[in-house]
Amino acid sequence: MRQIIEESLAKGLNRLPEEAAEKVCAAYGIECPPSVIAAGKEECISAAEKMGFPVVLKIYSPDISHKSDAGGVAVNLQTREETGKAFDAIMKSVSEKYPDAAIAGMEVQKMMPPGVEVIIGGLRNDQFGPVVMFGLGGIYIEVFRDIEFRLAPLTMAEARRQIEQTRVYRLLQGVRGNKPCDLDALCRMLVNTGDLLLENEEIREVDFNPVLCYEDRCVAVDARIVIGK
Amino acid sequence: MSKASLNDFFEPRGIAIIGASAKPGAPNNQIVKFAIEESKGHDIQIYPINPRTEEIEGLKAYRSILDIEGPVDLILMAVSSKMAMSVAEEVKRRRQERGDAGAVAIITAGFKEQGTEEGERLQNEMIAVMTAAGSRVIGPNCQGVIDVHNGVNTTFSVTPGALKGGVSIVSQSGAFVAAFLRWAKKQNMVAMNKLITLGNMADVDVTEMVEFLAEDPQTKSISVYLEGTPNARKFIETAKKVTKKKPVVVIKAGRSEMGKNVAHSHTASVAGNDAIYDGAFRQAGILRAYSVDEFYHTGRVFDKMPVPKGDRVAILTVVGGPSTICVDAMASRGQIRLAHFSEELKEKLRAVLSPFANVGSPDGYVDMTASVTPQMHKECIRYLMEDDSIDAILFITTPPGFMDETEFANALMEGYRSVDESKRKPLLSVLLAGNASPVCRNILETNNFPTFEFPDTAAICLSNMVRYRKYLDQED
Repeated sequence: MRQIIEESLAKGLNRLPEEAAEKVCAAYGIECPPSVIAAGKEECISAAEKMGFPVVLKIYSPDISHKSDAGGVAVNLQTREETGKAFDAIMKSVSEKYPDAAIAGMEVQKMMPPGVEVIIGGLRNDQFGPVVMFGLGGIYIEVFRDIEFRLAPLTMAEARRQIEQTRVYRLLQGVRGNKPCDLDALCRMLVNTGDLLLENEEIREVDFNPVLCYEDRCVAVDARIVIGK
Repeated sequence: MSKASLNDFFEPRGIAIIGASAKPGAPNNQIVKFAIEESKGHDIQIYPINPRTEEIEGLKAYRSILDIEGPVDLILMAVSSKMAMSVAEEVKRRRQERGDAGAVAIITAGFKEQGTEEGERLQNEMIAVMTAAGSRVIGPNCQGVIDVHNGVNTTFSVTPGALKGGVSIVSQSGAFVAAFLRWAKKQNMVAMNKLITLGNMADVDVTEMVEFLAEDPQTKSISVYLEGTPNARKFIETAKKVTKKKPVVVIKAGRSEMGKNVAHSHTASVAGNDAIYDGAFRQAGILRAYSVDEFYHTGRVFDKMPVPKGDRVAILTVVGGPSTICVDAMASRGQIRLAHFSEELKEKLRAVLSPFANVGSPDGYVDMTASVTPQMHKECIRYLMEDDSIDAILFITTPPGFMDETEFANALMEGYRSVDESKRKPLLSVLLAGNASPVCRNILETNNFPTFEFPDTAAICLSNMVRYRKYLDQED
């Protein structure tokens, strides 16, 4: 843990590379989808095959923080051919938008089935110290602001109340014939995010967005961990 | 010297007022007058300090606090900031030589709040001299303290003689709470215990004060006007312990302020300090008031009425429209349910009311209609009080002009008191156009029956009471 964070700090990075972030998540019981880093096109295709379709391809570069904006993400790839084409399209788009970015390859991630999208976030505030955020996830969180904060550490019961305070809670309970989501798993993820912040001073901010919620588990599809001294 | 107790602010044997004025109409003259008036009947000596006068408001004026023979526990500094250091040195000397001078309230402005380096430095130096001697300081830039039970009042704006009770108020603004108490005074709406205006919080801060009030047996509920505190986490952690013992109501100024965090993530981009305060307050069981009105009323209902045992509320009314507004306001807070009336209860209510009365439609609701008598009020309230499936009563009326105000108030109180103390539950009375029936209102308030002019305000206060009950009952 310590080593992963310190290595990235030593390289002057302000966020953990994907595979490092996933290791940190694993250490705190925060489930992420299976993923590997692959260098070239053929490697990506064989990684996808090995993992099982459908997959997601994401550009892997320390210089690109907002991958979607750079055209660096392709989702729901069902075959070898689609994966190959997506690889080329991403490379083209990224090289046009970020000609100077160092491209280390692609992250091949197992495509997760649809679930209720929530965000779990965390940060250090000058006045409050480590705080954990929960809310409606996705790319419009700044618009809807259906969010609720708690100071870390959290108990399971407090995490539950945090979730209940939001409107997305209704979705998690199951609407329009959907089964209710695994709220215990979600509460545990909130508690664990609090502990992650409390125990690692160098972690400044975290975004798990979206976290996909299913009836039997919750998966952090995108883990952004911002580090700094 | 050992560190003085905060008790010195509230139980002083003597109060020295540095900068006391003999000039009628001057704030520093008002301070002396109020201090004298509030202390009547208590064993407190007031010592005006002014080297240029012999006598102020009939009391001997002293040149310096060092000249006072008797014990002086509370020192009020109301002179120019230019004299800050010399006053601080005198306080230190008195504390070292006499062992008193434990509490200092600094009214004087011109320190850190100026935003100048010089102001901040002067404040730090002045405070350091006094705290090193073990004195505790409230302020600067405040109005000091009030203790209604103990006869202490250092303000120039809160008229002495407030109704004695259990509301204690901590405020980072003197003017805000002073105005509140003046508003509430005529109708005896707030039964007061302590008031602490904190000013710049150079020594005693909001967290320490709230912690102190938690242990104060006279304080039943704590109301806090908060602008901010450098260590918000400590405030929240302290409040979390306090709310287990008594309710804490906070109005937080600066809701629109956005976070100053540099955002690298979605989380940081939406994490304004106020959004964090909001969640942290809920986590600590603090009741956040979203309007001045809600703040004023919530604190006082907790003092006057018991915490409800649950969330089932009966509405007793003579006016349909305002009651609907009331139900809407309850629904918006999502804390309260209407109670379920048993057939037996409905029979009893129907038996005393006019045939046109609406009993139980919707469930939990009684419209007595306009043809009511004091006796009917008394009986209905008694039945609702006796029924254990009801946790609180909201009574809404336009006090009828044909009814004697005193008789009407007495009927309500008799109905309420017909049950044993252990069975008491909140009764909130909305007297629409309450200003038109001041006699009734005053009787009720003086006897600890909270009244409201508007139905939505009462609904929100009751929602806060229910929320507090749920907080007390919740799992950690």
